[in-house]
Amino acid sequence: MAPSKNSDSLDSFKEFAGHRGDYYGQTFLRIQQAKLPGLHLNMSALAGGFLWASLRGNWLLFWIGFAVDMVAAVNLALVHKYDLAVVQATADGKDFLVQRYDGWSDAHLQAALVLFVAGRLLLGWLADRLYYHHYARWRVNRSLPSGQAIRRLGIGMLVVLFIAPLTIYRASQFAPDERSCIKLARMIQDGQQVPLKDRFDCWTISEFPTLIWLQRPPQYTFPRNDDGTRSIVVKEPSSTRPVNLNHWLSEHIDQGIGYMKAFYGWLFDGVTRWIRILLNAVEAVFVGTPWIVTSLLFIVAAVKLAGSRMGVFTGAVLLYLALFGFWQTAMSTVSLTVAATVICVVAGLPLGIWVAKSKVGAAIVTPVLDIMQTIPSFVYLLPAVAFFSVGKPPGILATVIFAMPPMVRLTALGIQHVPASTKEAALAFGASPRQLLLKVELPLALPSIMAGVNQVVMLSLSMVVIAAIIGAGGMGFIVVDALARTQVGRGILAGIGIALIAMMIDRVVQKVNRM
Amino acid sequence: MVIEVRNVWKIFGERAEEVLRAIQRDNLHKTKVLERFGAVVAVRDVSFAVKRGEIFCIMGLSGSGKSTLVRHINRLIQPTDGQILIKGQDIGALPTEALRTLRADQIGMVFQNMALLPHRTVRDNIAFALELRNTDPFTRHQLADRMLETVSLQGYGDAMPSELSGGMQQRVGLARALAADPAILLMDEPFSALDPLIRRGLQDEFLALSQTMNKTTVFITHDLDEAMRMGSRIGIMRDGEMVQVGTPEDIIIHPKDGYVADFVQGLSRLKLVFAHRIMEQPETYNKTHGNLAEVDTWPQAHPQADLNSLVSLIVGQDCPIAIRDDDKLAGIVTKDALLKGIQGPSS
Repeated sequence: MAPSKNSDSLDSFKEFAGHRGDYYGQTFLRIQQAKLPGLHLNMSALAGGFLWASLRGNWLLFWIGFAVDMVAAVNLALVHKYDLAVVQATADGKDFLVQRYDGWSDAHLQAALVLFVAGRLLLGWLADRLYYHHYARWRVNRSLPSGQAIRRLGIGMLVVLFIAPLTIYRASQFAPDERSCIKLARMIQDGQQVPLKDRFDCWTISEFPTLIWLQRPPQYTFPRNDDGTRSIVVKEPSSTRPVNLNHWLSEHIDQGIGYMKAFYGWLFDGVTRWIRILLNAVEAVFVGTPWIVTSLLFIVAAVKLAGSRMGVFTGAVLLYLALFGFWQTAMSTVSLTVAATVICVVAGLPLGIWVAKSKVGAAIVTPVLDIMQTIPSFVYLLPAVAFFSVGKPPGILATVIFAMPPMVRLTALGIQHVPASTKEAALAFGASPRQLLLKVELPLALPSIMAGVNQVVMLSLSMVVIAAIIGAGGMGFIVVDALARTQVGRGILAGIGIALIAMMIDRVVQKVNRM
Repeated sequence: MVIEVRNVWKIFGERAEEVLRAIQRDNLHKTKVLERFGAVVAVRDVSFAVKRGEIFCIMGLSGSGKSTLVRHINRLIQPTDGQILIKGQDIGALPTEALRTLRADQIGMVFQNMALLPHRTVRDNIAFALELRNTDPFTRHQLADRMLETVSLQGYGDAMPSELSGGMQQRVGLARALAADPAILLMDEPFSALDPLIRRGLQDEFLALSQTMNKTTVFITHDLDEAMRMGSRIGIMRDGEMVQVGTPEDIIIHPKDGYVADFVQGLSRLKLVFAHRIMEQPETYNKTHGNLAEVDTWPQAHPQADLNSLVSLIVGQDCPIAIRDDDKLAGIVTKDALLKGIQGPSS
């Protein structure tokens, strides 16, 4: 049986390989029999490199070989660049520069040689092994490339032509910086002659060229009239020079925000006021109560909710805060966190129900949540400052935006995961949509919702600290202040305090969830 | 008639109405519909009626549309076409609020997977339907405790469903369905998930219960034995169609087609076929065997006696059985006829 099997495979190998079928047939046979020598090299791949790979239609090998050869070529171009620089520096008589450039030139030359040789050896070694995998895939899917084809060599050459010259040119030149390119663009606008080489360099090997030049937008101001109303005053832009897209759009955004603040200021003021009322109520509890009462209540609550060990831990945390003089600041941070959590839960719960119940809700809210969760937390501070200025309310607002997504998501998830059969049973006994929600869906989703609350608390705490940058105060302020004045010790002590508060709250909330 | 189902169609998929018209026009088969419209015909032109106090079994393999059909009766599913009448009232025309009242007051339902609310005690589960109707806690808890007694689970009111075994959970499911004292019970494969011994016990208990409580029951099952045990009448479904409706005896003696015949073939006829089906007329017997002189000394049986009891009568006897209806000789069952009757017609 064995010989006929051998010849079967051999025929298939030869059919696949086409040109030089005997060599590939024998090699593949040895791979199948696990008899390929460890140092086996494919000489045509070694010599031809990526060209061999493109001829054979194995694009993985093509890209590996091409990338290595390309890096070697770039190194050679750098050798050329620094050699020219050496000539220039010698002419200028700057000896230290001559030495430096000479050294760089030598290093790049060595790198180029090593890379080229090692790359080719690697390709020669990989070639037959990967080509065999290529064969295995081809057996399943005959539309994959097999044999040799001049057409594929052509495609490979085109790729090389597209990539290699510009890349090598870029490496051999000192690229112009952004400023000189802007200068060049202005000169072109003013109708002056500029050398073709500079123009080419700015377009291809510097920053992406500025394609769009726009008229600077006019400046809007919204002064208050005597009767308290606002009017819109338009002024010509300060300069007639055109600006790029970035500049143009950011000025428009600024003016939009200015408009909103001028004409809808009452809205933002109203929001700020309500947040402040809530915060004052919370602060009255945590900050306004004497430390003896608050700490006792904390410890009793921890013992009742999470057991005596958590009580001891809570006591230790509170002692740390008290001893290092963080008591008031820590309570302020806790107040901010609690206020933000309350808003998150109150707003997030109905939103989550909406997402779970309505396709429209899911279509609107889900992408917004996705964006909210990808944006880095620092970025939330910007709109908060833009519309609500600085202080605690905008800090809470940024925190709410940052911490709300898990509340919405986990509420929706919990409701969606209520078994359809359970809901059906409730409906079969005559439940109305409201009764279904209150008596079946929300109770069954409760574990998920509580996990959401836990997440909200932790995220709020972390964001409240960051919000100190915009004046939310609390423990975060000590860290930010210490950072600005490089008082490392003070910052570290406050940081440990924050971590302890986080651990304390997290453990207690988790224990409560598990009950 | 408590429940009347008239020409009900259910087609799942978009453009259901259009698909329905196409099917009615061209008489398409289920697979053709799926191929051409991507729509699934779950229920196909089904009509039947259930009398007061009857247990109507709907029997079919999985995917035959029986669970879909039963959900039409309390309108958990809207029919694509056709009417469902409960006590003569077309429930397709009911406004939402009236439909909810109907579900809460008139129709109790028991599910294969129990579908109890895991966060509530057994008592609160049983009282769920009453709670939905805003009955006060005192009344509904008293009622729940009475129901627990009915299903012999007294004392388990404060347990959580997860603490009970499968059989006990299904008793709770039954108690919940009975709590609002509905006229109609819908049982969707209630005992299928239970192991055979417990299933048997619950079947007997349910039969006894339904005789005393006089509920009208629609009972879904994929188990023919169960259907034969429970059903006053049986409807056999295949591919969304009601193939045959009849009493267990009807179906076993006169299967309508090969499909039904295949089903009933392996079934024990001992308790499902009765003496009058297999007896010979006295005259015929007289012609073939003669000798009716000793008929009074033969064992006696009623025409409604099942084959099982006839076997007990004839064992150890050398003579046939005389079948008497009100002292009048109705027929004769010989040993041969009895054996043939047990074997059935097919083989």
